[in-house]
Amino acid sequence: MKSVVDELEALLGPNRTIHSRDALLAWECDGFTIHREPPLAVVFPESTTEVQAVLRILSKNGVPFVPRGAGTCLSGGPTPVGPSVVVELARMNRVLDVDAVDRSALVQPGVVNLDLTTHVKHLSLHYAPDPSSQSVCTIGGNVAENSGGPHCFKYGMTVDHLIGATVVLPDGQLAQLGTESGPRPPQGLDLLGVFCGSEGTFGICTEIRVRLSTDQPAVRTLLASFADMTSACRAVSDIVGRGLVPAALEILDQATIRAVEASVYKAGYPEDAAAVLLVEFDGEEETLDEEAGQTRQVFAHHDALRIEEATDPRERLRLWKGRKGAFGAMGRLSTDLYVLDGVVPRTKLVEALEGIYAIGKKHFVVLTNVFHAGDGNLHPNISYDGRNTEETARVVQAGHEILELCVKLGGSVSGEHGIGTEKINHMPLMYRPQDLDVMARVRRAFDKEGLCNPGKVLPNRSACAESQKWPAMIARVLGEDAAR
Amino acid sequence: MSELRPASASEVASMLRDLASAKTSVRIRGLGTRDRLCVPAPKGAAILSLRAMSAIERLEPDDLTCSVQPGVTCRQLADALTRAQLELDCLDADDLGTIGGLYASDPLPAASPHAASPRSTLLGIDGALMEGLEFRSGARVVKSVAGFDVHRLLVGSRGRLFAATLLHLKLRPAPKAKVAFESPPSDVVLATKLLHTLRIDASSPKRLMLLRENGVAMVCGVASGNPRQVASLLVRHGLREATAAKRPHLSAPDVGHELVVGCVRPSRLLDLVAALPAEAPLLAHGGGHFETMLTPSRSDALVAAMPRIGGHAVVALGANARIGVGTHLDVGAERLQRELRSALDPRALLA
Ligand SMILES: Cc1cc2nc3c(=O)[nH]c(=O)nc-3n(C[C@H](O)[C@H](O)[C@H](O)COP(=O)(O)OP(=O)(O)OC[C@H]3O[C@@H](n4cnc5c(N)ncnc54)[C@H](O)[C@@H]3O)c2cc1C
Repeated sequence: MKSVVDELEALLGPNRTIHSRDALLAWECDGFTIHREPPLAVVFPESTTEVQAVLRILSKNGVPFVPRGAGTCLSGGPTPVGPSVVVELARMNRVLDVDAVDRSALVQPGVVNLDLTTHVKHLSLHYAPDPSSQSVCTIGGNVAENSGGPHCFKYGMTVDHLIGATVVLPDGQLAQLGTESGPRPPQGLDLLGVFCGSEGTFGICTEIRVRLSTDQPAVRTLLASFADMTSACRAVSDIVGRGLVPAALEILDQATIRAVEASVYKAGYPEDAAAVLLVEFDGEEETLDEEAGQTRQVFAHHDALRIEEATDPRERLRLWKGRKGAFGAMGRLSTDLYVLDGVVPRTKLVEALEGIYAIGKKHFVVLTNVFHAGDGNLHPNISYDGRNTEETARVVQAGHEILELCVKLGGSVSGEHGIGTEKINHMPLMYRPQDLDVMARVRRAFDKEGLCNPGKVLPNRSACAESQKWPAMIARVLGEDAAR
Repeated sequence: MSELRPASASEVASMLRDLASAKTSVRIRGLGTRDRLCVPAPKGAAILSLRAMSAIERLEPDDLTCSVQPGVTCRQLADALTRAQLELDCLDADDLGTIGGLYASDPLPAASPHAASPRSTLLGIDGALMEGLEFRSGARVVKSVAGFDVHRLLVGSRGRLFAATLLHLKLRPAPKAKVAFESPPSDVVLATKLLHTLRIDASSPKRLMLLRENGVAMVCGVASGNPRQVASLLVRHGLREATAAKRPHLSAPDVGHELVVGCVRPSRLLDLVAALPAEAPLLAHGGGHFETMLTPSRSDALVAAMPRIGGHAVVALGANARIGVGTHLDVGAERLQRELRSALDPRALLA
């Protein structure tokens, strides 16, 4: 009998079907390296029709699959749980259409976020959601995670920039979500809204129509340093309290500043500061003067140590370089990095940070903080050596307590990185069994057989029963001989 | 038809549970201001009105969020937000209905490319399924991607999936200036050109509409933001301040006519105009939503023309049998809608 891999190879050819064990190690994890599991095979479809054909083969054989973009996810989303086939979409990377009048673009899911902005730059347009990984991550991954970024404070998350999507459902059927002109047809449900952020568990999007934004005529970036974190957080509250709407409001703590300054991302941040606050406004030049002036007043009121203001693009790039490179700079501190992603109401930032530092101390972990302060979206980063199992266990425990704290303060366990496998056990902190039950029903409406990225987002009560089916599944996918 | 008026989430759940056991169909409503836009409830259906649940439970100006019961009226929330110098992007203070009704009917997805649609301002809900199960989705904070966003299914669901018993909403600081504007009257081609120019302006107005009535067209809306920015926008595009903002909807249709709503890519607006009789009123929003009034035969002709134009059109108000007549959804989307309904309301009792 033909194995599933044989069928996939017959469809896509040997160059687009990988199943050698060594090669598969490249797909054993994403940015959440604590969870590793190689897939049984990886396939590289290049069109919607090919994705449909792949999913038909897999669903006919009852084989679970995992969609994957660039693999930059930080919560284990594209990492298999149990025997599965990875459907990698990075080769579907064409911008299919740009409509300058409608301000929209139709893209394949493997288009890299920043490449889209580069593609439409000559039209004075850009794609607003800007995760810090934007030079690598794909729009398909962004849709699946409902990704955010520094500029989401003013411009919103990925879901706010979606108009429509072509989705291949797990059994291979196509569905058009949204419309060409708006996210919801007048007689329909907001299917696109619920698909966005489903972490690759509802189907594979193969074409996405996104909204493009007009470039603002001018941008003003300010950086203030503070002697303590509390002042930096209070300055954020004051800026928002004055009715100002900056495009971005980002804070880096001292440990992050020092890691950045010692790295290739060196941006000239003052290393003696306990925190720096990066604030950016965009709009018309004359209004920016006023907004920057008011922001300087706020900084002064909170005893800023130093204030810098970028008035030209080079200076702006420098100020942002440290923020954008912060995660990369952590590589200097240890071999592995666990990036957390909790959210608290902005008014609880000070309390949350105090608690987070205390948790770090309690578990003797190296903890740094860089975060989207405007949204109260914290990224406590824990640097550790993943080869040390005792240290890793402390890191995981500290992470759990931090997220517990965020929920206790009225927040969420994830602001933008998703649940994946990383936070699956944290879901009950936020949701009761009946809440999870309703989510599971919605998931089943998209994926009756549970083949699409299983083991993610919702704690699985039947995991044990599922795992008993694995040996037979492996034999089906690889063939009896290979599976042995 | 009896009208039930629960006063709390648990009362909603227990009433729904009882009705489910009795296999009674239910129409969920707020104040009922949008009833005429719905296919009439089946005979014998119970009416579950959420009007008594009218408390603003939480308003946090510093966190830019609030939690409101579904029976809070749009006017009530608008007043509270004005006092706190906040705004909810998709809120129309002149809307006579409730907040629950606003989100469940989503009468106006994004009013302009720069305005947040109801989808973007709904952070989470507490809700109850027809079987009486109370659930929660989303969060109260401005940003959360934890779990599947079941709450987004409220938007446009018209009470056919579940009842929302509490809505968590994302607010913005009230703009320093808010000015209603209009262009001088012109023909529809010129007005369309102006609409496009305003849509792509970096300071594009939050509410932006093209209105054609009695053969005369104009562009109107509300510009908000920094006072200087608003003033310069008006000057740049030759707009004048209007005494009052125009309503974002057409009024009730004349006898023999029906209200058709739809969406079209803004770049195809003139194709839509060409498919309409010259005398038909048209309100087209910068975000792609449109409303027009047609005789039934002209509505059918428009619906038939929509695949060519691209977009959707549906009869929203007219004879009972005509409500909902319109373009079809794609087969896959239809299937998902069916599956979702049967997952959340398996006996199809929510009517
Ligand atoms: C240094 C660094 C900085 C980051 N900064 C941010 C940030 O600022 N904001 C933020 O939100 N995130 C950030 N991230 C997280 C990550 O980049 C985002 O989640 C991103 O959207 C993932 O995109 P990807 O292409 O890498 O997707 P992958 O990691 O490959 O996949 C992510 C999820 O999407 C699913 N998926 C992928 N493609 C599809 C598709 N076509 N259809 C259906 N499902 C699909 C996968 O199954 C998986 O569950 C950062 C990550 C790193 C490493």
